[in-house]
Amino acid sequence: MIVTIEFLGMQRTLTGADSIEMPITKKTSVDDALEYARDKYPQLELDEGMILVTVNQKIAPRDQALKADDAISFLPFISGG
Amino acid sequence: MEILRQIKYKPARVAGGYTDRILRVDLGSREISIEKLAPDFKDKYTGGRGYALKLIWDGTTGQTRYDSPENILVMASGPLGNEPGFPGTGKFIVGTISPMTDTFIDSNVGGHFGPLLKLAGFDALAVTGIAEKEVVILIDGDAHTIAIAEAPQYDKETDDGALSYSERLLKDINNGQYSDCLAAASAGKGALHARYGVVHSLYYDIRRHRIRAKQAGRGGTGTVMRTKGLKSIVVRSSLPKANGNNPVDKKGVRAAGRAMKQVISKADPTQLHLSAWGTTILSEYMDKFHIFPVKNYQYGQSPDSVKLFAHVFLDNYFSRRIPDGCYYGCNLACAKGAEKVALTRGPAAGRKVSIDGPEYETVGAVSCMGIFDPQFVMEYNWYCDQYGIDVISTGVTIAFFMECLERGFLTVDDIGYELKFGSITAANRCLHEIAGGRGFGKVVGRGVARGKKWVAKKYAARNKATEDKVMAELDKFGMEVKGLEFSMYITKESLAQQGGYGFALKGPQHDEAWLIFIDQVYQELPTLEDKAAALKWFPLIRTWFNATGLCKLHWIDVRNPEAAATDEPSKNLPTLAHYVDYLNATTGSHKSLQDILDDSERLYILQKLINLRQGKGTRESDQVPLRAMAPAFFNEYQSRAEYYDLWLGQNGGVKKLPTSPKLRHKMLIERRKRDYQQLCDAVYEQKGFTPKGIPRREIIAKFGLLDEEARRLINETGA
Repeated sequence: MIVTIEFLGMQRTLTGADSIEMPITKKTSVDDALEYARDKYPQLELDEGMILVTVNQKIAPRDQALKADDAISFLPFISGG
Repeated sequence: MEILRQIKYKPARVAGGYTDRILRVDLGSREISIEKLAPDFKDKYTGGRGYALKLIWDGTTGQTRYDSPENILVMASGPLGNEPGFPGTGKFIVGTISPMTDTFIDSNVGGHFGPLLKLAGFDALAVTGIAEKEVVILIDGDAHTIAIAEAPQYDKETDDGALSYSERLLKDINNGQYSDCLAAASAGKGALHARYGVVHSLYYDIRRHRIRAKQAGRGGTGTVMRTKGLKSIVVRSSLPKANGNNPVDKKGVRAAGRAMKQVISKADPTQLHLSAWGTTILSEYMDKFHIFPVKNYQYGQSPDSVKLFAHVFLDNYFSRRIPDGCYYGCNLACAKGAEKVALTRGPAAGRKVSIDGPEYETVGAVSCMGIFDPQFVMEYNWYCDQYGIDVISTGVTIAFFMECLERGFLTVDDIGYELKFGSITAANRCLHEIAGGRGFGKVVGRGVARGKKWVAKKYAARNKATEDKVMAELDKFGMEVKGLEFSMYITKESLAQQGGYGFALKGPQHDEAWLIFIDQVYQELPTLEDKAAALKWFPLIRTWFNATGLCKLHWIDVRNPEAAATDEPSKNLPTLAHYVDYLNATTGSHKSLQDILDDSERLYILQKLINLRQGKGTRESDQVPLRAMAPAFFNEYQSRAEYYDLWLGQNGGVKKLPTSPKLRHKMLIERRKRDYQQLCDAVYEQKGFTPKGIPRREIIAKFGLLDEEARRLINETGA
């Protein structure tokens, strides 16, 4: 089973990729995806309090289990100008 | 330059953020006077928007329109504007009775004008009357003079441009040199022809070695300025900018400023990174979440949107490695710009120009016309600026007429050419016609609300239909409330932001509330009560920023990491604590955040009273077009049918959805309409208004606003 981690905005510049794929098991969680991205791209700053994680464009708790074909994004906080 | 009237004055010293003086200039009688404010004026009205509201409330009537001589054009910073030690303090507001909405409008703008006006001795400038011939106002804090002068004439191209004219004037009156001790507020010739003219704030950027421009863009403030016969206002002061507010507690200001700058420098590069990319970075996120206003807000996404993402402008246009703050001390520095851009269209084709922008709003406005060409974005940006017209209202109004043509409400013969979505040629032609007051541009220059009436009349006559019936159709997709065009966000999937636009007192501009992500993505407002509470709290805190001379971005678009541990992360309270410290250190007050919110509520209620007086203050005026709530037409529903069906399944309140897609679409519309009315009830209750949307007598009295005029209004409306 595979999920996609999408990189938006500055993350794309830092990683040089629009997205990457990540293999998952039934026990893989949002937190694991976060760790996977951190390991692969140490230059990405994905600290607690700096980003929100969405799965399929909905905010997701860190312990949410991932399922095949989920799309994960790490969002900055956007609150309008 | 022929001086028509001049006075000598002694500039008041700024103390604790205030000069306690308002400069009044009447262009009709050529009277110039300085009003000393009573000590409690600032306590009640704070500054900026608050001062503009009070001046408009006292100085105009329900019959005042944008072109009435008694209409007042107010420019005011606020007690916290003008402090390089704290980021984002170059803002001032331009407030007046709007040509778009016929009620109070204010638009905030950065640059040096607000700070220099204060250093020259004034918390606010209030311009009334209409000049017999075109004039400029010169406020010279160094020479201690204030003058009304006949507008000098250069050459036609310079004179017609909102940017070029005041650029030349700024040099002309300073011995041929630009200086950061001078700044100008300027309106262009386009503002004479379109109701949505802007006021530019022009300042000298010592890093780019040129004059730059920011805009008070919304609601036609520039149209009011030019209608008064006023082409430009120049202010000069050579007083030091550091500690320019003479704060009560300098150490406290420094500490608050240091803390804020640390938050920005730590958090922004890992979040939106506005300091690198400016607000164009928003396009990608809006597109991702179906919020990008593609083709008159029909579709939130397009496969072509990527052509307008931030990296395109960064790679091809923006000058890199230049800290682009619009005032000293701003380390968010989001005011991006480009140099030597070759124009390929329009009367200036072939010229290379400097362009300030684009901002997200400009990119969104171009996508609204179904165009995804970055070079056109740049040229649209420059021409709108040079003509002095609002990029948002221009784009949204053109897009409305494009859709009228597409849906058969207009014919090519009505317009004179094929004004269709995606046509750069047609959009470009329309832009220049608007600015020149020519051809179909004369209709488009009046905005969507007036455009709807024009189309209804034409279509009804041709098809033997009633105008009311046609209007009901046009109301579905004419993206305006109270006469102002929507700013560049799709709200269909955020009930909270439907209210953020609908209840916004000036009309649907997001500087009163922007709750889309908090609601739609972060899901922090799950209940109606949560949404209603947010629709009270956010407009109040945002009002405070507009009353104090501050930019909001540092608070709202850079999340303090400490906010994550608070109960309501979206309020970003740890950052707001620095703002409260900054206020108290500057003015010597001892206010809490709640005190600030109370101060703002007074201003909010006052603005609501003005709306009531101008006929825009009831529930009826808070209604949004169908497209703001739901897919207005079947093609929009079809574009996301799976999503909408899922939504209906979860929220429709029925066990089984209709099998017919058209019936499901109809059901969705009914549900969304019902939700919005329920939101109205909840929000009015939260704000202390009647179900008709009118402030209750006790809340008006609570804020000391129950004067004779307010009593009359309340009696008339039966609240």
